[in-house]
Amino acid sequence: MEVSVNIGEKSMEKKKKIDWKEIRHQRVLLIWSLIFVVYGVIFCYLPLFGWLMAFQNYKPARGIFASEFVGLKKFQTLFTDETFIRVIRNTLAMGVINLVVTFVMAILFAILLNEVRLKYSKKVIQTISYLPHFLSWIIVCGILHDILNGTGIVNEILMNLHILKQPIDFFAHPGYFWPIVAFANVWKETGWNAIIYLAAITSIDPSLYEAASIDGAGRLSKIRYITLPGIKSTIMILLLMNVGNVLNAGFEIQYLLGNGLIQRVSQTIDIYVLRWGVSQNDYALGTAAGIFKSAVSIVLIVVANSLAKRHGEERLY
Amino acid sequence: MKKKRLISMLLAGVMLGSMLTGCGSKNGGNSSKDSKDGVKEFTAFFAVPGSELNDDNEVQQIIAEKTGVKVKETWLTGQTASEAVGTIIAGGEYPDFIDGGDGMKSLYDAGALVALDDYIDKYPNIKEFFTQQQWDALRQDDGHIYWIPQFSNIYGEEKVCVHNDEAFWIQTRVLKWAKYPKITTMDEYFKLIEDYAKANPTMDDGTKVIPYTILCDDWRYFCLENAPQFLDGYPNDGSCIVDPTSKKIIDYNTTDTAVAYFRKLNEEYQKGIVDPESFTQTYDEYISKLSTGRVLGMIDQWWDFANTAGDALKTAGLDKKGCNYVPLPITIDGRKNQWHNSGSVLNTSTGLAITVDCDDVEGALKFVDDLLSQDIHNLRFWGVEGTDYNVDKDGMFMRTDEMRKRNADTAYKASHSCSYSYFPQYSGTSRDGKNAMKSDGQASEFFDGLSADVKECFEAYGAKTYVDMIGTSEAPGDWYPMWSYSNSLKTDTEGGVAWTKMGECKHEYLPKVVMAKDFDKGWAEYMKAYKACKPEDFINQMQKELDRRLKEAAKYKK
Amino acid sequence: MKLKKYSTEDVLFSAFIAIFMIVFLILTLYPILNTLAISFNDGTDALKGGIYLLPRKFTLKNYDTVLHKDNLITGAGITVARTIIGTLLALVTNAILAFIVSRKNFIFRRQLSLFWVITMYVNGGLIPTFVLFKNLNLTGTFWVYVIPGMVSAFNMLVIRTYMNGIPDSLEESAQLDGAGYTTIFVKIISPLCKPVYATVALFVAVGQWNSWFDAMLYNRMKGELTTLQYELMKLLSSVTNQGQSVEAMKNATGTVTPTSVRAAATMVTILPIICIYPFLQRYFVTGLTLGGVKE
Repeated sequence: MEVSVNIGEKSMEKKKKIDWKEIRHQRVLLIWSLIFVVYGVIFCYLPLFGWLMAFQNYKPARGIFASEFVGLKKFQTLFTDETFIRVIRNTLAMGVINLVVTFVMAILFAILLNEVRLKYSKKVIQTISYLPHFLSWIIVCGILHDILNGTGIVNEILMNLHILKQPIDFFAHPGYFWPIVAFANVWKETGWNAIIYLAAITSIDPSLYEAASIDGAGRLSKIRYITLPGIKSTIMILLLMNVGNVLNAGFEIQYLLGNGLIQRVSQTIDIYVLRWGVSQNDYALGTAAGIFKSAVSIVLIVVANSLAKRHGEERLY
Repeated sequence: MKKKRLISMLLAGVMLGSMLTGCGSKNGGNSSKDSKDGVKEFTAFFAVPGSELNDDNEVQQIIAEKTGVKVKETWLTGQTASEAVGTIIAGGEYPDFIDGGDGMKSLYDAGALVALDDYIDKYPNIKEFFTQQQWDALRQDDGHIYWIPQFSNIYGEEKVCVHNDEAFWIQTRVLKWAKYPKITTMDEYFKLIEDYAKANPTMDDGTKVIPYTILCDDWRYFCLENAPQFLDGYPNDGSCIVDPTSKKIIDYNTTDTAVAYFRKLNEEYQKGIVDPESFTQTYDEYISKLSTGRVLGMIDQWWDFANTAGDALKTAGLDKKGCNYVPLPITIDGRKNQWHNSGSVLNTSTGLAITVDCDDVEGALKFVDDLLSQDIHNLRFWGVEGTDYNVDKDGMFMRTDEMRKRNADTAYKASHSCSYSYFPQYSGTSRDGKNAMKSDGQASEFFDGLSADVKECFEAYGAKTYVDMIGTSEAPGDWYPMWSYSNSLKTDTEGGVAWTKMGECKHEYLPKVVMAKDFDKGWAEYMKAYKACKPEDFINQMQKELDRRLKEAAKYKK
Repeated sequence: MKLKKYSTEDVLFSAFIAIFMIVFLILTLYPILNTLAISFNDGTDALKGGIYLLPRKFTLKNYDTVLHKDNLITGAGITVARTIIGTLLALVTNAILAFIVSRKNFIFRRQLSLFWVITMYVNGGLIPTFVLFKNLNLTGTFWVYVIPGMVSAFNMLVIRTYMNGIPDSLEESAQLDGAGYTTIFVKIISPLCKPVYATVALFVAVGQWNSWFDAMLYNRMKGELTTLQYELMKLLSSVTNQGQSVEAMKNATGTVTPTSVRAAATMVTILPIICIYPFLQRYFVTGLTLGGVKE
C-alpha cells in the first residue's frame, strides 16, 4: 500500500513576469511590505549603529558618536585570548547538544501525545507538560542541584541499585556538565516546544488517516507516512532557525550550575562577556562578542538555507 | 453572544491602555515635585539591590512631616550596577540622588554630578560627618567632591558587639565539649574539630555531622581564598598584605603561610574532615547545611551566614543544642590576629551624590543634613518611640520581644520602617552619650537577643561580645583598606587584567589543590598557572596606589 | 473511525505511549509540585532543605508577602493591558506579514523574508536600543511595551509555514471569483489558520505576561507604568543577593530567605496562565479540519 501525501509541498514556483499589471495587482501587498520594512528598519536595524561601539574605547560619558576609535583592537583581544577560544568551543558544544536533544524530544512528545486516544488525558498531559517553562532557571537549577548532589536522590537510587559504590558529585566532574545542561533544557522546555508541532499536526487532513486505515496501515506507519511528512515543513523551519542560534546556548543555566572546578567546560560566550565586559564597564568587548555571534549565526543560516534549497525543503527565505 | 462579550472586553482593555498612556505621556522625567501637602518629593536610584518601601510607609511619612521632604527610592533589579548606570547616562535623565556603585566613576566622567564642596560648609551635620582629611580624600582629579560615602562612620565611642567580618567560626557545642580550651592556631582549630567529630559523628536525628565546609560559590569564594592574610596576622586589606614597616605590598597567595594553610586543608580533605561537596555547593545549599546544625566550623563573614542560618537554627531549636557559631582568634602560629579592626573605614570609591537634574540642590542637601540629626537618625534606625522601642528612666532605649519580632518582619518593614538606608548614617554612640546610633549596636539589645549557648561560651572566655572573642585592633595605617582600590580595578589597566585573571585562576585551581591526591604536585601546577596571570602587574599597581595614599596622608601629619 | 481489531503492534505501541507519558508526567510534575510545596512552607524552615512534595511547616506567609507588595494592583492592570493589546497587535501584524511572504507570486517574497530573518540574529545592544527608544519618545510610555517587539521573525515564520501548507487552489479559485488579497486574507486564509494563530497568540501573551525588563529599563521612575512581573522581580531582588559583591551585601537592607518567596511568586504568575490555557487548547488538541473546505 502506498500512502502518498504532499501537504507541505508547493507546486513549482511560477515565475511570473514582473510588469506594471502585476505590480498593480499586488499593490496591497506592496504597501503593507513597505510599512513592515519601515518598521523593521527603525526597530531592528537602526539600533545596529551600536555596533560602532565594538571599534571604540566606548565611554558612556561621551556616547557612541564621540568615543575614541580603536579599530579592531577589541576583536584582537578576543581572538588572542585562549579563554575566549575555549568558551566558543563550550558554547558551540552545548548549543549543538541542546539543539539536537530538545528538538528530538519535542517532536517525539508531540507525536506521541497526538496518539493518546483518551481526550481528557491528552488535555491534562498537555497542560502539565508546558508548566515547567514558567519556572525560572534559578528554581530549576536549585532542584537539579538538590537531586544530583552527593546526597541527592539520584545518587541514592544508584547506590541502592548497587550501580555505584561511592556517591558521585556530578557537578565536580567536567564530563557530566554538558549532559546535565541538555537534560535541564529538555526538562524545562519539551512541552512548550511541542506546542508548535501540535498545532502543525492539526493541519493534517484527517481523511488521509482514514484512507490509510482502510488500507490497513498500523499506527506506526501512519506516523511515518502521514504525521511526520505533515509536519515536516514546520520541523524544517524551526531547525533552520535554531541552527542560527547555536551560539546562544545560554547564560543563566551555566552560570547557576557552574563552579570553579568545571569552569573550563561550563563557561559560555555570554558568561565571558559578563566577566570581561559588562562587569568591567567594557561595553566594546561585549559588543564585539555580539557581532561575532551574529556573523556566525548568519553564516550558519545561509549555509543551512542553501542546503535546504538544494533538497527542495522548506526554507527561511 | 460570546463574541460580543469578548470584543467588549478587548475594547475595555484598549481603553485602559490608552488611558494609562495618557497619564504616562506627561513629561515627568526627573526633578522634584511638590505634592499636595507641601512635601517636596525627590527621586533616588541606588545601584544595589534593596527593598522598596510602600508608598504609605509610616516612618517615611513622619520624616516627611518633619523635614518637608520625601524621597522615592528605586533599586537595582536584574542588572549589574555599571549596566544600569550606563543606560541612565545614555538616556541622559538622572534621578535627584544617585549612588552608582561600581558605575560611580562613569557618572562623574559624564558630568552628571553636582560638585558639593561649596555647599558642605553650610550644613553642620554634613560638615561634621567627615574630618577635613577625609573630605580631601574624596576629591576627584578635578579637585571637587562629588559624593559622600554613607557607611562605616562611627560617632563617638564605637559600639560594636558583633564581629561582622571574616573569621574561623566554630559551634559553641564543640568548645563546650572540649571544656572551652584556648584555641589560637590553625592546627589546634582543626584538631579540635577532628576530635569532636570523632567523638560525636552524628546529630541527634542520626544524620552525619559535617566537620568543616568551605563556601566557594562565585564571588563568595573568599571563604576559601583570602585566609592567608589573616593567618599571618594582617588585617583585611582585601587583595594583598601591606607590610606596616617597609610599606611594601606582599602577595598573600604565595606566602609560606598560604602553602601551609592549603596543605592543611588538603590533609583534612583527605581525612574526610572537609566537606566533599565544598566546591560544588551553591550558596543556598551552604546555608541549608548550616541551618541543620551539622556544620561544626567554617570560615565566613558574619553577615553572609548569620542572619539567615541563625534564624533557622533558632526556629529549629538547635541553638539549645549549641549549634550557634562563635569566632576564634586564629593565626598560623598563635601570633596576634587582626581579624577585627575598629574604627571607621572610608570607602572613597562610591557614595551618595546629587545629579545635575536635581533642581533644588540646597533642598536635597538640607534633607541629607536633617537625616543626620539625632532625632531623625533615631527614627531611621530605631523607629518610633513607644511603637518600636521604649525609653527607660535612665534614658536607655530598649525593645520588647514583640517589638524585636515585628522589626524583623519583611512586611512590617516595608509598610512601617524607613531607614533611608543608602543615605549617610552613623554607627557608634548616639549624641546623648548613652545609646547606640543603631539598634544593633545597643549592648542591652544584643544581650537580650543572645542564645543561652553563646552567652555561656562568652562567659567561659571572659568575653562580653563576639568582638571580645577575637580581640580588636586599630586600623593599621593611613592606607587601610587597600580593597577600596582593588575593588574598582578594571581591565583597562594591566594590573586590572592580572587581577581578573588571578581570580579566575584561583577559582579553578584552589579547589583542585585542596582535593589533590599529591599536594605538592597540585600546588606546583597551581603556581605555574598563577604565574602565567602576571600577578606582578597587579602587585606593582597596588604598590603605586599605596605610595600615593601614604604621600597624601603625610600632608596632614605636620 | 475506529479500528475494531488491534494488532500486536498497536498494543505494544499503546503500552509504549502509556509508559512514556507516565514517566514524562512524573518528571515534569516534580519541579512544579516541589515549587508548590516550598511556596506553602515556612521560609526559615525551608532553608534546611529536604522538602519534596509536601510542605513541612505549612504557612501562607509567602503568599501574604507577595500579595502585599505595594503597587501590585497597578502592575497587574498594566500587565493585563499589555498582554491583551500586545497580543492583538502582534497577532495581526505577524499574520499580515506572513500572508504577504507566503504569496507565491509576490515580487519581493524572498527579499522581505530575508530582511526579517536577519533581525533574529542581529542585535544592537542595550544602550543603542535605549537611546533609540528615547529619541522616539517611547520611553516613559505604555507603548514601549507593545510596539518595539510587535513583529517578530520567529512568529511570522511559524505562521508562514502553516499558510504554506494551505492548498493554493483555495486562493486561485477565490481570485477567479474576483476576491482581492484583503478578502483572501480575512475570509479564506485566516479562518484556516486558527491553530497557528492560537499558538502565536500564546507565545506572545506569555512573553508579554512574563516580561519585566522593559518596565525596569524604560519606565523605572514611572510608578504608574510598572508591571506585575517587575514588582515581583523587585520583591525578589530585595530578598536575594545573587551576583552581588561583598560590599553591596554588607550594606544590603533586609535579607530574608529568597526561596519560598520566589516559589510563591512563581505560583502567582503561573495561575492565570493555567486558567487561560484550556481555552486555547482546543485548537491544539482537536484540529480544525482542512478537509471540509478542500475537496
